[in-house]
Amino acid sequence: MDVLDQLGAVRDGKLSRRAFNRTLFAAGVTMAAMPLIPRRAVASPEDQATYFTWGGFDVPEMFVPYVEKHGELPNFSIYGSTEDALTKLRSGFVADVAHPCSSDIPNWVSTGLFQPIDTSRLSNWPDVFPELYDMPYNQANGQPDGKIWMVPFEWGQSSIIYRTDLFELEGEESWDMMWDARYAGRLGSLATASDAWWVGAIKAGVPFEEIGTDASFDKIAAVLREQRPLIRVYTDDTTSTDNAMASGELVAVLGWNSSALSLQTQGVPVKFAQPKEGALTWVCGPMLHAQAPNLDRAYDIIDSLISAPSGEFILADYGYGAVNRKSFEPFDDAMLASMGLSRDPNTILQAGHFGLPQSLEWNAKIVSEFEAIKSGF
Amino acid sequence: MRELLQSQAPPVADGPVARARTGLISRMLFKHEYLRGYGLLAPALIVTGLTVLVPCALLVTLSFWTQVGYDYDTTLTLQNYRTAYEKPIYGALLERSLWISGIATIVTVLLCYPMAYYVAFHVHRHKMIWIILITLPFWTSYLLRVFAWKVILGYEGVINSGLMHLGLITEPLRFLLYSNTAVSITLAHSWAAFALLPIYVSLEKIDKSYLEAAADLGDGPVLRFLRITLPLSLPGVIASVFLMFIPTLGDYVTPAMVGGPDSTMIGTLIQLQFGSINNWPMGAALSVVLVIVICVLGLCSYGLTKAFRRWAV
Repeated sequence: MDVLDQLGAVRDGKLSRRAFNRTLFAAGVTMAAMPLIPRRAVASPEDQATYFTWGGFDVPEMFVPYVEKHGELPNFSIYGSTEDALTKLRSGFVADVAHPCSSDIPNWVSTGLFQPIDTSRLSNWPDVFPELYDMPYNQANGQPDGKIWMVPFEWGQSSIIYRTDLFELEGEESWDMMWDARYAGRLGSLATASDAWWVGAIKAGVPFEEIGTDASFDKIAAVLREQRPLIRVYTDDTTSTDNAMASGELVAVLGWNSSALSLQTQGVPVKFAQPKEGALTWVCGPMLHAQAPNLDRAYDIIDSLISAPSGEFILADYGYGAVNRKSFEPFDDAMLASMGLSRDPNTILQAGHFGLPQSLEWNAKIVSEFEAIKSGF
Repeated sequence: MRELLQSQAPPVADGPVARARTGLISRMLFKHEYLRGYGLLAPALIVTGLTVLVPCALLVTLSFWTQVGYDYDTTLTLQNYRTAYEKPIYGALLERSLWISGIATIVTVLLCYPMAYYVAFHVHRHKMIWIILITLPFWTSYLLRVFAWKVILGYEGVINSGLMHLGLITEPLRFLLYSNTAVSITLAHSWAAFALLPIYVSLEKIDKSYLEAAADLGDGPVLRFLRITLPLSLPGVIASVFLMFIPTLGDYVTPAMVGGPDSTMIGTLIQLQFGSINNWPMGAALSVVLVIVICVLGLCSYGLTKAFRRWAV
């Protein structure tokens, strides 16, 4: 009795109980035997290294060399903010490679959960811009000790994304746009202090070197409090703010290069502002876990990320700066400038305000104050 | 002589005592029903003890410590509770949470009561299908249900585009999403089945002959409902109020997704203490405060119900 006969029997209402049971039994055996069916002869997912990263960074285009070598993508685990990620790692989650940003590094290193990266094991390392890793974030004790804790992977800006048709610009692009009372209830901001607090500092005119003083703290808090009644939503879910921008629910949001690019690609008239006070700039990239269970493959993940094709992909599809010199070859200068990028990372990073690491206590103080401000206190 | 007796005593006693002991256990088990009950409960009790009571004890202990960097200062102190009392944000958020989840609870119970009433008294065939249909939203994930409300209430959502299409409004309504209303609506819908089932069960249990007796003695439909149905279904109503109010009070996902800046609830703050603010002892203290508030409210309503019963009888 083949399947069609069975189906016919069901339709005619003639299927006997015994035949029905036999069918169920066959289905059960098939289901149970499913895992035994030979799969592609590659390593099982447990053997792949795990990459703990932001949503959107778990795409195959960033792991072409890795897949060529190991036949499969690495395992992914996703987080929404680096603070949440660190909490999870500290409570015992072991991922071979994690993906924080420059201002997180000293605090992450101080947990003892990470190991310095041996760059001689990365074949693409010579092509990486040295100005992206010779930075204060890689100096755990404030002194250059030659150790690389974070390999840079992408860099960019946090700036204002605004609707050119709905937001009437008064004069130059400036951070004042995010404090524009004409658009009260139509502005959106990021929920984590790691962006918003720094933007507050730029707006308040506090130099980043002085961000760790009590006077600056009060100034920045006052500025953010002033902004709060104008904000419709504080969220890190950029998909929902992108949708809100597309529908016109919001006219300006604090965001990253990728949101601006994806909205432009959809044909929404938006612009990634270059505020006259300077944008907030940052570098993010992979760190290596001290107990990485798959160390060799962890290095392959990092090498894959800094390879030229991965860089080309994030330039073209995400609008973030790449770290590999070769990735910039297919792009012309005008195109890069329109995305708020440059062939020379320094021109962008130094023109803006580069986020500086803060002590753990100060960070906690900032985060709790910002949470209180968001809740209206 | 005494020595002789002592040395002889054990061998004599061994056999019969052992037998008596096993006999004693089974006799005890046979005699006392509660011992049999505890014996059967033992595995569950042990698991519950390990997975609920121990973490609770840890939480309470943690709330008396202080956070220093990534470590704890284990000196016992009331500092966290003092902060919770002194800083206005904690009290205000707690009050707001009580409002939001209180409104959601009342709305849900009021909406669920007629549904449960209908199924209990007016559906006679295929009751199971009705129950399954009512709990159908529960077959999808909680997050999906929250997202569904985002789609319905959104700026270009179902309600707004419907009203625009009908020409009732010219610009989308903004208060629908990212507001306390949105949080209450979402909570009310998401937890509806929890409120509905206890009410249904208590209505279903009501002996229909009471209703007939009330009608025979001259009560109209309204009086009959007030004097028979409502008091007898009250335990179910109270159960559903609790089942709904307690989990929603500490909820943090819903306000994070459909709430605006003004809808932060105490759960959000607790989650942040364990997350980005990285002050676990403070988070523990806030959790303990929340538990105490719930207990006090629970005791109050228990007392009120008792008083009501006495008054009704």
